[in-house]
Amino acid sequence: MAILRKVKKKIKDAVSKKKKIVSAKKISPRRAKKEISLATVKEIPGMHELVAQRIKFFTPQSPAAPRMLEELPGSFGQDKIILQVRDPRWLHTYWEVTGASFERLQHQLGQAFYSAKRILRVYDVTDLIFKGNNAHRFFDIEVGSQANNWYIDTNGPGRSWCVDYGLLLPDGRFIMIVRSNIVQTPLDGPSWITDEEWMIPEDMFARLYGMGFGFGKSSPVGKAWKERLLSSPGIASMASPVRKAKERKFWLMVNTELIVYGATEPDAKVTIQGKPLKLRPDGTFSLRFALPDGRQVIPVEATSADELETRTITPIVTKETKSHSNLRERAQA
Amino acid sequence: MNKGYLCIVLHTHLPFVRHPEHEDFLEEEWLYEAITETYIPLIEVFERLVNDKVDFRVTMSLTPSLISMLSDGLLQERYLKHINQLIELAHKEVERTRWQGEFHALALMYLHNFSRARDTFERYRRNLVTAFKGFQDLGKIEIVTCGATHGYFPLMDICRESVRAQVKVAVSHYEKTFGRRPNGIWLPECGYHPGHDEILKEAGLRYFFGDAHGVLHGTPRPKYGVFAPVYCKSGVACFGRDLESSKQVWSSIEGYPGDYYYREFYRDIGFDLDYEYIKPYIHPDGIRVNTGIKYYRITGSDNKQPYNAHMAWEKAAEHAGNFMYNRERQVEYLYDFMQKKPMIVSPYDAELYGHWWYEGPMWLEFLMRKIHFDQKTIRMITPTEYLLENPRNQVLTPSMSSWGWKGYSEMWLQGSNDWIYRYLHQSSARMTELAKSHSQNHCNGVVKRALNQALRELLLAQSSDWAFIMGTGTHVSYAVKRTKDHILRFTTLYEQIKSGSIDENWLRDIEYKDNIFPDIDYRVHQ
Repeated sequence: MAILRKVKKKIKDAVSKKKKIVSAKKISPRRAKKEISLATVKEIPGMHELVAQRIKFFTPQSPAAPRMLEELPGSFGQDKIILQVRDPRWLHTYWEVTGASFERLQHQLGQAFYSAKRILRVYDVTDLIFKGNNAHRFFDIEVGSQANNWYIDTNGPGRSWCVDYGLLLPDGRFIMIVRSNIVQTPLDGPSWITDEEWMIPEDMFARLYGMGFGFGKSSPVGKAWKERLLSSPGIASMASPVRKAKERKFWLMVNTELIVYGATEPDAKVTIQGKPLKLRPDGTFSLRFALPDGRQVIPVEATSADELETRTITPIVTKETKSHSNLRERAQA
Repeated sequence: MNKGYLCIVLHTHLPFVRHPEHEDFLEEEWLYEAITETYIPLIEVFERLVNDKVDFRVTMSLTPSLISMLSDGLLQERYLKHINQLIELAHKEVERTRWQGEFHALALMYLHNFSRARDTFERYRRNLVTAFKGFQDLGKIEIVTCGATHGYFPLMDICRESVRAQVKVAVSHYEKTFGRRPNGIWLPECGYHPGHDEILKEAGLRYFFGDAHGVLHGTPRPKYGVFAPVYCKSGVACFGRDLESSKQVWSSIEGYPGDYYYREFYRDIGFDLDYEYIKPYIHPDGIRVNTGIKYYRITGSDNKQPYNAHMAWEKAAEHAGNFMYNRERQVEYLYDFMQKKPMIVSPYDAELYGHWWYEGPMWLEFLMRKIHFDQKTIRMITPTEYLLENPRNQVLTPSMSSWGWKGYSEMWLQGSNDWIYRYLHQSSARMTELAKSHSQNHCNGVVKRALNQALRELLLAQSSDWAFIMGTGTHVSYAVKRTKDHILRFTTLYEQIKSGSIDENWLRDIEYKDNIFPDIDYRVHQ
């Protein structure tokens, strides 16, 4: 009994660990591998700051919960795997398996449970009713016990896919835990199927095809799309064209402004360079000017409310700018 | 006789950002900037064209979330405050630049533009949607709808009930706003997944737009490429995007907006001027932001030259002429080749015009004037008009596609944002469960309110903008917070509805905060 309890605890630990740790996976650029027929997945180290937030998911809810949950739950307590299409070649899948299900499996499998690998089995189920054993082909991806989502390179545009998450035992048996929905990847070139009534000769279609992508009139079928992918500008509403990178980032900007301020009787009329200005209720005023190089003559004239007396004060400001720059070679240490 | 058609589509969208709980909110500036720099300039372009009796056609998608913000009293009030602040700043700038003739002229230009923007805003009683409705009623523009909150449909395929809710909520919101049913839809991010056309058909929609490869890689092959619409099996038409005309405007390398005489977006006085001086006009926390006053042109080197509005206008006219010339040649070539009038569909993000490409609205105006007066080869048309004149089209199934980065779903499904789908899909499934278990209309008032609010929260969480922002890496924390907030609010509502203990005070509070779609009916999520 004690051994069993220990084992149970071990499983629980493993499961809760899985909830807390989420591995971030990214994939290699799509053109990196042309010839691959089976899937491979690459991991790029370094997590985005967002992914880190997922680590905090698991918050148990007491019955007397506050008005609103504080954090997103780490799991929903169900066995489930969802598959979705990213592009003609790549799929994305995420899954969740409850601790109870793992416990049940441990009971059934005994020691073999611990040497089993967690895998995704990816089936090509194009044009068939999938019964679990009639796929055109399948391939496995070992995902480790801590992963809960994965990008799958199918290298198979225009085909249907289904994924099982389960255990691969040392003797080669596969125990399916959850099976995904079926998805279809889009074609990455024109269809081979033509419609008799709307048929078009190949060379003419090639022209239209190239023109549709804005690559002139003689682009071979399929090529225009690849050219577009290569030159994809990353169209997006809130993005802006890239600023050119400078070789050295150092820079200096200096501007000058001039503040002219003063005070007079609150009911006086004041002009500056002949243009009237508005006094504050206490008779003070303040104006701010961008100050270019050169000489500025700035007569400030105040006229008393009874228009009998006028006073003028004229600041004269001269500005000149010198600049000097020096780029040294870094000293050898 | 014309030899082909040109259909300019402006996709006009901003995510629903409205925070009554804060006095000032950084992300609300997206709306204010777009109003001053894009929406009002576009309205003024349309007004001038109508006044001068220039016949033109523009197809616009106004998304339900944008319409909701433009017609929201609080945001209207705040915009007015914002534009008044800008006018005050422009007055100061006119003074400050007195000894620098080039800048002084620009300060006067901004003062004039901002004042006119305020006038236009007031003239339409602060609700710019009525302006666009007016142009639609005149038959000059056709307004299409969009997903209710701009959810990205291909990644919702696992829960089509949510796609249906996005579409149906949008359609009824459109009807309420414009007094008629929409004919077409701009699928958010141009994201199409085979089969979703059935949902559009259910909602009474007759067409949507697809990216070029969606149509070109359709099955069977499209006989006319992207130069004629196709029907999906459901009978809903798909208009494919022409990339040649797109590139001329979009491309960051060869596109018009990069011309050296055009205004430089990055040199804004919000960043350039002395901190103490500019402080009252940037974010209250002291974060420097764009004010909209920019004095330089792109120039082509780091030594930026002052902007010259007159020269920029000349350029815009020249570019409009160039665009028209290229479309004429394109149409003539295709007409000979296809033995049929080609349809050139050129969609753009509306916010590109004015906000990013300052001279964009001017360019559009020149283009429409030139097309009206200077040529006979091309005719501007809306999709509805095209289908009336050309009802017979090929039937095919477009392939899954979007107009985003790399053409599919990667922008919204990558390391930085893939975590959201676990929650979005689960919430969708729960919403379906709630709608099913409350399918009779005799649930009491509070339960019904909670159910409706649950759908609002779900829709708000689904905005593709959040995943997009996480993908681009700016404003990330806000996008994460919005996603979490709405999912958490949804989840709380779900649990309260299930347990029959709805906290009415809290419900009232989130109804007040997330007040989008007041007439929503949760039963559309089926």
